[in-house]
Amino acid sequence: MTGSPAATSTVVRVRVNGRAIEMLVPVRLTVAELLRDRLGLTGTKVSCEMQVCGVCTVLVDGNPVSSCATLACDLHGSEVLTVEGLARGRDLHPVQEAFMAANALQCGFCTPGLIMMAVALLEDHPGAEPDEIREWMDGNLCRCTGYAPIETAVTVAAARMAATTAPPEGDQ
Amino acid sequence: MLPELGLVRSDDLDGVLAAVDYDHAPYAGGTELVPAMGLGLRRPAAVVDLKRVEALRGIDVDAGAATVTIGAAVTHRRLSDHPAVREHLPTLAAAASRVGNARVRSTGTVGGNLCFAEPRSDLGCVLVALGATAEVRSARVTRTLSIDELIVGAFETSLEPDEILTTIAVPFEPPGMSYWKLQSYERPTLGVALVVSESRWEVTVGAATERPTRAVLAAGDTAGLAAFVDGLELSDDMTGPPEYKRSVLRSHLGRNLGATA
Repeated sequence: MTGSPAATSTVVRVRVNGRAIEMLVPVRLTVAELLRDRLGLTGTKVSCEMQVCGVCTVLVDGNPVSSCATLACDLHGSEVLTVEGLARGRDLHPVQEAFMAANALQCGFCTPGLIMMAVALLEDHPGAEPDEIREWMDGNLCRCTGYAPIETAVTVAAARMAATTAPPEGDQ
Repeated sequence: MLPELGLVRSDDLDGVLAAVDYDHAPYAGGTELVPAMGLGLRRPAAVVDLKRVEALRGIDVDAGAATVTIGAAVTHRRLSDHPAVREHLPTLAAAASRVGNARVRSTGTVGGNLCFAEPRSDLGCVLVALGATAEVRSARVTRTLSIDELIVGAFETSLEPDEILTTIAVPFEPPGMSYWKLQSYERPTLGVALVVSESRWEVTVGAATERPTRAVLAAGDTAGLAAFVDGLELSDDMTGPPEYKRSVLRSHLGRNLGATA
C-alpha cells in the first residue's frame, strides 16, 4: 500500500493500572508479554495461549481480553487493568476479599484471571444473577477448586457491589 | 514469542483493501489469527488492522428491506447487546451472547468467525438459516455471496487472498425460528437452527458438519427429514462419534417438530 515494508514496531500510549506509559513495541509482542516482560506485572499468567483457559485475562477499557492472544499494538489509547491494579493500598477489591473469604483458590495460578473476569462482569452488571455469573465465568478454567467456592465468591461480591452501587431504598 | 510481524493500519476501506493479500492478513479481534500465528500455522509478513475502518463497524437497520446489515468487524458482544439486533434478530443475538467465552465475545468479530470457517461455530449455522448474504470486496471487485457460498468447507472460504468480508446483510428473523446447541467444551458439538411454519420445515445443522447444512422440507415430510438426517456426514472427534451426534439430532428434531426423524 505504501510501497515500503509494513512497520514492525509502533508507539503505544496506554494507561496501565492508572499509570501512563509510552513505549515503542514490536508488532509481534502480545499484551501478556508487554505486561509480564516489559512492565514486570507478573500477576497476569499465561497458559494455553488459545483463548480457552482464561489465566491471562485482563481488562482493556473494561472489557475482558485474553492478553496472550491480543497484540500490544492494539492497546494504543486504552486503559488496561490487571490484578495488580485492583487493591487501593491495603484495601482489597470486593472480588479479592470474596475470593479469600470463600477459599475460592488452592494453587492460585488461575486466580488472577478469574478475579479479573469477575471484576469485568460486576463492573458491567453489578448484582449479576447466577446465570450471568456462570455465563461469564465458564471461560476460565480451574483444576483445583471444583468451581463451587468460586461461584460463591462471585455471588457474594455481586451482592456487595450491588449494595454499594444501587441507590438507597426509597430514594426518588 | 511470535515471529517478526509488520503492521498496516488505515482508517479507510480502500487503504486496507490495497494492502490485503496472502502475506498481509486481515486482522480484527485476533481471536483465531494470533493463536494460529503462535502455532506457526499462519505466517503472514504483516497484519492489516481492520478495526479502525468505520465502514466495517456498522450495525444498520433497513426497515423497508427488512434487513440488518452488520459490519464484519463488529464484535460478538456488540452484536448481542445491540437493541436492533435483539429486536429483529433475537436468535442471532442470543447465539452471539453464547459464543466462546466472555473474552472471545468482547474481541472476536462476526467477520472473523465466518472467515476462519471453523466448523464448530454457531453464527454460520444461524446465518445460513436466516438466508444472510455476505458482501466481499477487494481493490478490484465487489461480490455478494450467500453464507453457503462463502463457507465452502472446514476452515475454507471462497475468499481470494486479496478479498475481505465487509458486511453481512441479514433478513429480519422469521416467526418460528430457534437455535439450539449441544456443547460440553469450548466449542459447540452440534448446532441446530429451525424455522418452522405451518407449511415448511427448514432445518440447518452445524458444528458437527464440515459447514452448515440446510434442508427445506414440506411440513410433515418425515421421510424427507429422516433422509436428510441419515445423509449428513457428521464429525468423529473428542466430543463423540457420528452416531451419537445423529442420535442427539434426531431427538432434538423429534421434540421440536413432533416427528420421528
